[in-house]
Amino acid sequence: MKTRREFIQGLILSVGGAATLSACGDKAPAVTATAPHNPGRFYTGDEMALVSRVSDLIIPRTETPGALDVNVAGYLDGLMSDWASAETQRAHRAALARLRADLDSAVGVPFERAAQEAAEEALAELDARAFEIDQSMEGYRRFKGWITQAYFATEGGAVQELKWVALPGRWDPSVDITPA
Amino acid sequence: MADFDAIVVGSGMSGGMSAKELTERGLKVLVLERGPEIIPERDYTDNLAPWEKPNLDNVAQEEIAEHYPRQYGGVAYAIKESTKHFWVKDSEHPYEEAEGTTYDWLRGYHTAGRSIMWSRQTYRLSDLDFGANAREGHAIDWPIRYADIEPWYNKVETFIGISGSAEGLPHLPDSVFQPAFELTDAEKALKASVESSFPERNVIPARIAHLTDATEEQKSLGRSNCQVRNHCHQGCSFKAYFSSLNATLPAAERTGNLTMVHNAIVESIEYDAVSNRVSGVRVIDAETNEKRTYTAKVIFLNASTIASAMILLQSKSETFPNGLANHSDQVGRNLMDHVSGANATGYLSGFDNKTTFGRRPSGGIYIPRYANLNGQDKPYRRGFGFQGGATSVGNAGGQIPGIGRAFKEAHRLPSAWRIGIGAFGEQLSNPDNRVTLHPSKRDKWGNPLALFNVKYGENEYKMLEEASKDAVAMLEAAGCTQITATPVNLTKPGNRIHEMGSARMGRDRETSVLNGWCQAHDVPNLFITDGSFMTSAACQNPSLTYMAFSARAANYAADLIEQGVI
Repeated sequence: MKTRREFIQGLILSVGGAATLSACGDKAPAVTATAPHNPGRFYTGDEMALVSRVSDLIIPRTETPGALDVNVAGYLDGLMSDWASAETQRAHRAALARLRADLDSAVGVPFERAAQEAAEEALAELDARAFEIDQSMEGYRRFKGWITQAYFATEGGAVQELKWVALPGRWDPSVDITPA
Repeated sequence: MADFDAIVVGSGMSGGMSAKELTERGLKVLVLERGPEIIPERDYTDNLAPWEKPNLDNVAQEEIAEHYPRQYGGVAYAIKESTKHFWVKDSEHPYEEAEGTTYDWLRGYHTAGRSIMWSRQTYRLSDLDFGANAREGHAIDWPIRYADIEPWYNKVETFIGISGSAEGLPHLPDSVFQPAFELTDAEKALKASVESSFPERNVIPARIAHLTDATEEQKSLGRSNCQVRNHCHQGCSFKAYFSSLNATLPAAERTGNLTMVHNAIVESIEYDAVSNRVSGVRVIDAETNEKRTYTAKVIFLNASTIASAMILLQSKSETFPNGLANHSDQVGRNLMDHVSGANATGYLSGFDNKTTFGRRPSGGIYIPRYANLNGQDKPYRRGFGFQGGATSVGNAGGQIPGIGRAFKEAHRLPSAWRIGIGAFGEQLSNPDNRVTLHPSKRDKWGNPLALFNVKYGENEYKMLEEASKDAVAMLEAAGCTQITATPVNLTKPGNRIHEMGSARMGRDRETSVLNGWCQAHDVPNLFITDGSFMTSAACQNPSLTYMAFSARAANYAADLIEQGVI
């Protein structure tokens, strides 16, 4: 029987992620969101800054890479450019505009300049509203889905956080885990 | 002098088996495939990691709208950027539906056809199925019974490899099994509860065509055990799941008796009225539009249920003005599929300290048919099986509340276990459900478009309503919480991709196209062994049955050739 901690570390070791775990450490400093204003192929500079900040708050660096480390914003810029239809692009742009307005209003300053704690609080409140109360916030929920899926589709997200293994080679239907 | 002993039209599930058996009997065989060649080393994408598949592996939305609206609408889960080359473009291969009807014709044109993309569930039929029409006085009787096909099930299963468990159920006979994928703990709990509460019901491991203990014969074809990656929709470089490209075609090729021609679209089958024999197959090269005819002593149609019927209907002659071998007027009729649309999910507690290792392919559990096993005891006829499984919710794709560390880790750490089951029901045959040649519209090669006119009957609606109630009752018996059963919404005809019945077998040439050997009543050197021959649909996934009948028919045809009969 493995503890939850051993289970996680065992899987990380099995896929060669130990070096990254060691480098990050158990108490890696939070990544301070920067505001990269370089526009992408789809996003404007301001949109890129917002996507970067929000993705960092949703999936921060912990013992494993966070959204900024694996460039989720860049991934979504490609997704919008190469996958999304014109209609999806318009809807996403509108959702980002609403998100910016809501978050700016919540923190009282432009969201990118908000202190980490205030930004976390504002986004957490908005997120809760989006999933529990306000059905009109489909645009945010979809955006959050893309952030998450993009993160887990990167090598850092898949291998180090999700413990994705290329070649399991066997099926074990019952692996015990106990809380550490 | 014919060019070949036999021509097999189609290289998919049944065509591969026909070709294997015919070539192993020493016959020179030509396989005609209407699509391009699939070369595993070039075209399988199963070795791509997630980060090697851009845009979440999604096909661009505008490309879907332009080229894949029907295919994607039917099987969005399977059509990815890494797999789209296994599916036809609707823009190149259109079809039509009669007013007021819908139909999903979901398919791929290439070496091995849909055997590359199938979901690999494999179940035998039993005499409950072969005797159903006769017992009920519905349609016509199957001309064979289980004892006729059992040895061929054994032969085919030994070759293709099926993982599963021996259960001793008379209505779902055991196959030749390799070890099953063991149930998860939550599935075992469901099994215990359901079998205790409903003694006539069973929860068993899904039977799937994956190698788990490869035989020497399978290894000799370069096949090895399943690596539990669940990349099956992208092909399998380990050749661990059965496809004709992974198994039957290589087996045929190593006999030295196989010739394969790709991009060969059949225009018609040539018929000689004097000898009452088919003599050849006229094809159009998909790339050059050049036409030519290949000749053979015997022809096997394995183009798929729809395409084989279309080829017969296109092959008109003075003897058969309504299509080849269509004296009965049954070609294209009785089109069946399985019907789904009754699903339920629920959560099981008590397993939060459990997870799994490996990505089990193609489902976990199967609940075999339990309705009307011993007479008519339900308000509907025939029955259904449930497919499903129980997994830890795990990665929810971001659709859960929360941000930060807790949200991030929630996607990885074990949590609640969700059970989901969905019914696959039998559709009754109906001669009015049919595919015909469109009277005016043609494809870019000049062949008529398929025109579908298929509707479900009252029995299918009634059965699925009852299946939905049963699904909820079983999850309740297991102690599930948050049980959800969406309103019954029948899948489109064709959506289960189990087309059957367009050239049914029977005892009478007045009411059926084929005899019990899959041999045309009207033309003795013409055999059809894809899903066309199915006299009724049963509720089991049918590919295994197609292959067993193909092997049986191929050996019968080889006997007739040896005897100089055909």
